[in-house]
Amino acid sequence: MDLTLLPPEIAEAHQRFACSVAASADLDSLMRLKGEFTGREASHASRMMDVLKTAPKEQKRELGAVINALKNEWEEALKNRQIELEAAKKSAASLATSWDPDLPPPLPVHGAIHPLNRLMDRLVDVFRPLGYHVEEGPETETEANNFDGLNIPEDHPARGSADTFYFSAHAGKLLRTHTSPVQVRVLQRIAPDIEKLGGIRFLAPGRVYRKDEIDPTHSPMFHQVEGMLVGHGIGMHHLKGTLSYAMKALFGPAADVRFRPSYFPFVEPGCEVDVRCPLCGGSGCRVCKGSGWVEILGAGLVHPNVLKFAGIDPTVWSGFAFGMGVERTAMMVSQTPDLRLFFENDQRFLKAMGGLD
Amino acid sequence: MLIERRALNAELPAINEMSNLELCELLASLGFPVDGVETKDDQTVLEVDVTANRGDTLSQRGMARDIGAKCNAMLSAIPHRTLREGAPLFPVRLEADACPVYSTAILELGMVASTPADVVCFLSSMGSTAKQMPAVDASNELLHRYGHPTHAFDADTLKGALVVRWGRAGETLRTLDGVERTLTAEDLVIADEAAAIALAGVMGGDSTKVTAGTKRVLLESAWFDPRVVRRMSHRHGLHSDASYRFGRGVDPVMAQVARDLLAARLEDWAGAKLLGAWTAGQVPAARPAITLRKQTLARIAGTVIELTEAAALLRQLGCAVVIHDQYLESVSPSWRQDLTIEEDLAEEVLRLRGFDRIDSVLPPLEGAPLPLASSYLQARNVARRLAHVGFCQTVTLGFISPDVDADFAGADNPPEGRTLGNPLGQEFSVMRPTLLASLKTTAELNLRQGAKEVKLFEVGPIYRSTAEGPSESLALAVVWAGSLGGEDYLTRLRPVQAADLLGIIRDLGVKGAIALQELGEGMLGVEISLSALPEHEDRIIPKFIPFSRFPTVERDLSLLVDLAQPYVDLEVAMAKALRRAAGGCFQSLGCVDVFRHKSLPTGRQAWLMRLRFQGDDRTLTSDEVDGWVNAALEAGQGLGAELRG
Ligand SMILES: [Zn+2]
Repeated sequence: MDLTLLPPEIAEAHQRFACSVAASADLDSLMRLKGEFTGREASHASRMMDVLKTAPKEQKRELGAVINALKNEWEEALKNRQIELEAAKKSAASLATSWDPDLPPPLPVHGAIHPLNRLMDRLVDVFRPLGYHVEEGPETETEANNFDGLNIPEDHPARGSADTFYFSAHAGKLLRTHTSPVQVRVLQRIAPDIEKLGGIRFLAPGRVYRKDEIDPTHSPMFHQVEGMLVGHGIGMHHLKGTLSYAMKALFGPAADVRFRPSYFPFVEPGCEVDVRCPLCGGSGCRVCKGSGWVEILGAGLVHPNVLKFAGIDPTVWSGFAFGMGVERTAMMVSQTPDLRLFFENDQRFLKAMGGLD
Repeated sequence: MLIERRALNAELPAINEMSNLELCELLASLGFPVDGVETKDDQTVLEVDVTANRGDTLSQRGMARDIGAKCNAMLSAIPHRTLREGAPLFPVRLEADACPVYSTAILELGMVASTPADVVCFLSSMGSTAKQMPAVDASNELLHRYGHPTHAFDADTLKGALVVRWGRAGETLRTLDGVERTLTAEDLVIADEAAAIALAGVMGGDSTKVTAGTKRVLLESAWFDPRVVRRMSHRHGLHSDASYRFGRGVDPVMAQVARDLLAARLEDWAGAKLLGAWTAGQVPAARPAITLRKQTLARIAGTVIELTEAAALLRQLGCAVVIHDQYLESVSPSWRQDLTIEEDLAEEVLRLRGFDRIDSVLPPLEGAPLPLASSYLQARNVARRLAHVGFCQTVTLGFISPDVDADFAGADNPPEGRTLGNPLGQEFSVMRPTLLASLKTTAELNLRQGAKEVKLFEVGPIYRSTAEGPSESLALAVVWAGSLGGEDYLTRLRPVQAADLLGIIRDLGVKGAIALQELGEGMLGVEISLSALPEHEDRIIPKFIPFSRFPTVERDLSLLVDLAQPYVDLEVAMAKALRRAAGGCFQSLGCVDVFRHKSLPTGRQAWLMRLRFQGDDRTLTSDEVDGWVNAALEAGQGLGAELRG
């Protein structure tokens, strides 16, 4: 076949043709290719017909034969590829024929952040504007960090093997029973630079372990969010101001806080903090047992012994600390009846309770 | 702790008119939240939470005293006849510091005995049943009413002198609950000349117990060191009403008073006759004064509180206070053994003033806030990213069973170093070496629940045994199981494939080899160390890289290759050729379609390779691109590929 009779761009297109047909991965692209080569208008075929019309008489026969051969070759190849593609995608109904614009569009399927993580992330976001950053510590701790550094006496029942998990091959290694050892770690770390830093304020979210049997309100593993601030002249009013802000940020502007005296070895004074029931707004409901308040935090001013243990002078520095049970708060807010649901991880629960941020 | 309303009112008549609701609010404001209010035999009984430091409030009178301090109201006098003490009827020797005072009396019981109805009723409010043995019932009543535990021995079973001493290693004692206990040198015991007869402050012994046939009783009312009692109670796993109170600190001054009250009850209820009463040792001296500076109080309270006001409140608690210019000195009453430092006094002042009067002030920012750590952001971001592409985050327990552990842990990570000595049970005994163990179980559960597609991930610590102990590192595990698609008219139902999961992990920015695992039929999983993810980028916007504004040219090559052809080899060879030929104009190369069909030559498949080129400074001509494509084709042909015509 003498292609020199044809305009060069058509000859060039023909050279690519076989490759392009093989490369057409679906019917749509094949149809585009078909249009380009053998379409009724503005195709290579139609342009060849124009060339034929204006060709000198003596060339017309030869040219016509070449054009016919080319067109046949093209149509043949296109038809074969079409059959091939249709065979390969026999089961896939073509959208072009089944599309009904009234059909709802398919939506992306989302997963979810676990509700407990979501609540912890939210708390971090709430405290971020107050200058708190996040500190993390290991789940495997020493007695020194988990108890000694927190002014917990040596004969305290929490140290017993009935309450705390210990590793069998490593004496004194245990699974932390609260996030408070992060206080000890951080204070010890910053003690040499505390003047330069101007104190510290941080949040420590994390997993903790206690030897509780699994039931609707207990789990041997759960989460806490610890908060701590150390500075100059820190008092109970600062604790109240901070938690008051945080609870409003978390639950809305009606969320007042109430302090009640309580006792934890690592704080003095110590308190428990109630928040005005986020569900009924304080008028009384099942969740707050009619009182209008729900307990949400344990807190207090950092005990001087905790600062001393870390090498910080309690006559210069003072601070507060607080700890929130994540599961307890999550259950209260969501009215989830059974703690075990959070650890069962049924996708239906996770998708309903979690979210994307 | 149970509080009977009638008994409480009897101690503090000022609250007679107070409603139960008001009382509950008041108790909560003092640090004693009420867990429940019940009516038992027309008596209102409150269940009150008492913190471990307040042993002084573990009785009707103790609680009344704290309420009285708050309301500034007087307690009733204890109706009490002081016994005249005489010479000891036999020696009582205190050989251990842990028992500084021991009051006792011997009484001969009368023939007829009964516990008065109102005491039976009170004991029932306290959740205890009267035994109709006056010595036992009266002791029990005193414990609940006044908070001081006492004990009665059958005096005729004692052999010689009474000694309070440390236990002797190997010595045994059968306690009232019938358990034979082996003692240690850290156990404080009451003994006679022959043997130990009671675990001090915890429980009496079986051989000397009071029975229906007892004729003479010896009363014990003492004070034992709280730490010693707590340790004994813990060591023997023996928790009694007595050890609960002694362990939290009772009032040593009450030792003698409780003895007198117990003796008087035996006289009244059982016609007992006092044979003699005496006390060994003496009540420990008051603790030294605690200084509370005005400045400290102001710092803790957030406002200036005059020392006169603070002193008045502390005096309401029973403290002896002396005011100086800038500080006060306070000697605590004998029952408040929990007050030891300045902060304790400040707390008491605030407590009686009311925590509701504390202001609400945000602390000033002293130092610059620190940034969120990159590792924290990394974990948080990866979770969000996976959630957005359809994966649910799980939270599973950190421990697994040894069987499951054996399926997953490598030989270099033996379970011994990760095993708990006191697990909840076998199935929760080993700290997991991989998150996949838990995710597999969770995925199976979801499939059993009828899920067609399971997409889960977890971010959490995994454990490794080392010589120093278990070491943990953060990992990310992703599991994808079941089938995907088929839920709309655009995607067909098909099983999850390795490439699906691989794509997710690559998309997170993980480079290098990725070890996918088949966890079960149609269940794929992968675990990577969180440190394998790209670090969280702190820059708001990355550094500018110049890009070309000239058009990209795209060429497809359909290649026939062997079914066994490794893809990476082909890609590397073609990319190398393209870089050599096209230099900086070569943009990308990848397989966009795989075609396997019987219409192809046997043992061959077709790969559609897409090549992209772009010039930095010009529009590429089709001639030069053709040349580069040919170079790529030749490289492919070198590996046995051929152009599909
Ligand atoms: Zn409510």
